[in-house]
Amino acid sequence: MRAGREKGTTMRRRDFLTMAAVGGVGAGLGLPGLLRRAAAATPIKIGMPAALSGSYAQYGIQAKRAAELFTKDITAKGGVLGRPVEFIYEDTAGDPATAVRKAQKLVEKDGVKFLTGIALSSEALAVSAKCPEWKVIFMSTINGAGALTAKAWNRYFFRVNTSGPMGARAISLYLAEGPMKRFFALGSDYAWGRDSVASFTSQITAAKKEIVGTDYPPVGTKDFASYIAKIRQSKADGVYLALPGQDATIYLKQAHQFGLNREVKPIMEILELENMKAVGDAMVGAIGSSRYPFTVDTPRNRDFVKRFHDLHGLYPDMFDGETYEGLEWLAQVIQKAGTDDVEKVIDAWEDSSYDGLEGPFLMRKCDHQAVQLGFAVEAVKDPKYPHPVPKILATYPGEKVTPKCRTEDF
Amino acid sequence: MSPARALAAAALAALAIAPWVAARYQLSLLTDLLIYGLFALSLDLIMGYTGMVSFGHAAYFGLGAYASALVLIHFAQPVPVALLAGALLAGAVALPVGWFSTRATGIYFAMLTLAFAQLLYTVAYKWRDLTGGSDGIAGVPKTVLFWGGPSLAAPHAFYFLVAACVVGSLAICRAVVRSPFGRALEAIRENERRFTSLGRDPRPFKLVVFVIAAVFAGLAGALFAPFRGFASPEVMFWVFSGQGLMMVIMGGLGTLVGPILGAMVFILIQEVLSSYTEHWMIFTGAVFVLMVIFLPGGLVGTVRRLRARA
Amino acid sequence: MANLVEQLLNALTLAGLLFLVSAGLSLVFGILRVVNFAHGVFYMLGAYLGFTAVALSGAFWPALVGVPLVVGTLGALLESSTLRFIYRRPPIYQLLLTFGLALILEEGIRIVYGPTAKGIDPPAVLEGAIRLGSLQYPRYRLFVVALGLVVAAAVWLFLRRTRAGLVIRAVAQNSEMADCLGADVARVRTLVFGAACALAGLGGVAAAPMTTAYLGMGIGVIVDAFVVVVIGGLGSIGGSLAGSLIVGAAQTWGAFYLPETAMVIMYAVMGAILIFRPWGLFGEPE
Repeated sequence: MRAGREKGTTMRRRDFLTMAAVGGVGAGLGLPGLLRRAAAATPIKIGMPAALSGSYAQYGIQAKRAAELFTKDITAKGGVLGRPVEFIYEDTAGDPATAVRKAQKLVEKDGVKFLTGIALSSEALAVSAKCPEWKVIFMSTINGAGALTAKAWNRYFFRVNTSGPMGARAISLYLAEGPMKRFFALGSDYAWGRDSVASFTSQITAAKKEIVGTDYPPVGTKDFASYIAKIRQSKADGVYLALPGQDATIYLKQAHQFGLNREVKPIMEILELENMKAVGDAMVGAIGSSRYPFTVDTPRNRDFVKRFHDLHGLYPDMFDGETYEGLEWLAQVIQKAGTDDVEKVIDAWEDSSYDGLEGPFLMRKCDHQAVQLGFAVEAVKDPKYPHPVPKILATYPGEKVTPKCRTEDF
Repeated sequence: MSPARALAAAALAALAIAPWVAARYQLSLLTDLLIYGLFALSLDLIMGYTGMVSFGHAAYFGLGAYASALVLIHFAQPVPVALLAGALLAGAVALPVGWFSTRATGIYFAMLTLAFAQLLYTVAYKWRDLTGGSDGIAGVPKTVLFWGGPSLAAPHAFYFLVAACVVGSLAICRAVVRSPFGRALEAIRENERRFTSLGRDPRPFKLVVFVIAAVFAGLAGALFAPFRGFASPEVMFWVFSGQGLMMVIMGGLGTLVGPILGAMVFILIQEVLSSYTEHWMIFTGAVFVLMVIFLPGGLVGTVRRLRARA
Repeated sequence: MANLVEQLLNALTLAGLLFLVSAGLSLVFGILRVVNFAHGVFYMLGAYLGFTAVALSGAFWPALVGVPLVVGTLGALLESSTLRFIYRRPPIYQLLLTFGLALILEEGIRIVYGPTAKGIDPPAVLEGAIRLGSLQYPRYRLFVVALGLVVAAAVWLFLRRTRAGLVIRAVAQNSEMADCLGADVARVRTLVFGAACALAGLGGVAAAPMTTAYLGMGIGVIVDAFVVVVIGGLGSIGGSLAGSLIVGAAQTWGAFYLPETAMVIMYAVMGAILIFRPWGLFGEPE
């Protein structure tokens, strides 16, 4: 794998330069046809300041995997507006200062007009605040922070993915109808964990259920034994978990060893394949919301999963799917606008709809949040797959799981 | 003119004409590098001149950044007011921390400064109403130079402010280390026992230099917040303190100019490598290992040694 | 009552893991005068190699024995190819060098294993929970407590009761004097560094069934281990044991009784101890 520049066509950078040079020479020799082709082939550049190393690398790598498949597909279709799509990857290592610097490099040096692939909320908030100054579009396909489409929103920000409050909403709707009554809420001690727990608490108490305990373990907790003891003592029916990737893996593994998962059902804010691969069978039975469950049975998704597996040798996780959808939608919007001019693309994107992998998407004009289906899923064993997979328990229409405009409330 | 003076003049001239010759991104990058350079410079004041390794210097950079961000967002004051607030807050907090930490020496001093820094980091991380918690404070504006004065929003305007701060800080730090106070510090570094046996107490000296260093780190942080447009807990985390140590060592311990260059090289290596490979950490690590083994005095120290030999 | 026993066992489990990591860190400082930043990465390497060894052999015990040997050998090789040349410099240079080594190793592991965490199951004998009165406690955690105690006793006996231990202590006291008296100081350093890495590797294999092997676990543990060593006093094995118990207790009980302090309690304890004893509990003033 190689970060840095990768061409949107099958051409390598050098080949492209050679071709451009040939085009230039051709023009000098008075071959206007060739010149026109060379100009038309100016690529549409998309910048990905993604976390490719460090603790959150898993998310950046998903974005990159999706971009690689998208590149292949869009090239086969002849590009966007007849122009190839070029991705420029930069590694932020999950650090907001680096993310802003890399984003600035992509904008000022490489001339990208579209940024995506940013993993952490802190990175996203810092970069999003700069976009009006840079006049570039920031398309979120990963960031869950409710604030991005509420108090921190600006015209240059678009969120294609399901946000954190939307995920909490989907699983709350599911639990409201279920038999479980008492819940413990465990959220990592940072914005996403605390916001998710707050959102879950308000919705579950509105459904006349009880929160019997709340705790916020620090990010990077290695031993959850103290929390496991508390959860057991609380006699909860289920434990709501808003823990980032590796923390969730460790929690589930240790709760299994304590025999807790049988007594208190794990309910994940996001049920990721990454956790299922690392935890294995001990994860079977956990439920949660999913922003994109790869097991959705639609013709478009079946085809996507197959092509993704052919290219990468594994099944797509949530952000693989959501990033691919974002890129496909962005390409359609640029095509519709007839230009990659930022202001015109924004206008074309607002109120537009898109036929996504798992169903229809609508880009709300008021806060640029994509309205889409919400899922409640369960980790199950399926002999067809080498690891547990999400089974869809319930699907909710977009109107029911999307917050009111420019808010985090329903 | 001595070669060193000629070099200094050339560097100043280069800084002065940079906005006219550098491309847009190069100027942004240079501004960034200068801010990190100021941070490394301030750390060198403690490390290079007293031999005390602070493993919590990022806390003062972070305090400066938060103070500046809050002043700019909530009170919309001119940037220099924010810089003053950042530097003062950092210095004020460093006073009690330094008072406790200078009781210990060596690695224990390092770990005490780390403990206090993590404490401050936790405050920034947990006090969500004020600091935004883990998300930090985004949208910090580059306001004006003085009340009713010119805007600093243009890249070259802010660049000049940063360059002036860095050059000014360097001049002050040089004056400090060349003063009788600076000589006393070096005497402590070379042989603390002897210093004590002369009937002098080294602790007040250590404390004062610790506070001065924190003030300049705070200034660097206060420049960072409006330049990058945000402040977040990462700038207070121990990892950033550790990176500061690397910058100082790479540039040359106890040379003041060296750490500024060290910071630039440190950031540039990662900047360039990470654009080409996501496995840049391997190469960065190898550079560190080779530099420590083969360039013991850092960049500046090595150049000086070669010149002395020539 | 069951609650108190459980809290005590939780603290001891964490202390056991912390001791396996910090003992080596303390040894290396005491004898080589090096603050080894790469120590955490050897712990992480142990966990990943443990995963591979279990996958290859199908059993946990060969991994627990074999992996530390491999990690220790690698450590010894790295010491003799890099650190050896810079012992005369101030300690900060060795810190920087080991930081470089840590970056190289961490990224190397990532290239080989990829970003997904690797889970190891405990051996069948230690699978599941045991009943202690009204309390259910995982067997594997009890094993980790026992392993920590056994290793602590073994290291202590080795240093106090064997000839090799005597030589090592002599080098720690005064390496130049030991050199004059005929000890092969360079070899002692290499072996001690290797042994310390082996201990870290052992800690990694032991931790993997509880935490999985994951990227960043080395950097996560190194700061905890520094705190343990500084609380206990650098270079003292007894100090490492005491420090591990204090940090283990602070973290688990802090999380249980004072959850909002969980992020910082370890540092607060260290700060408090250092303010009253600036050279750690079992250390000596420099």
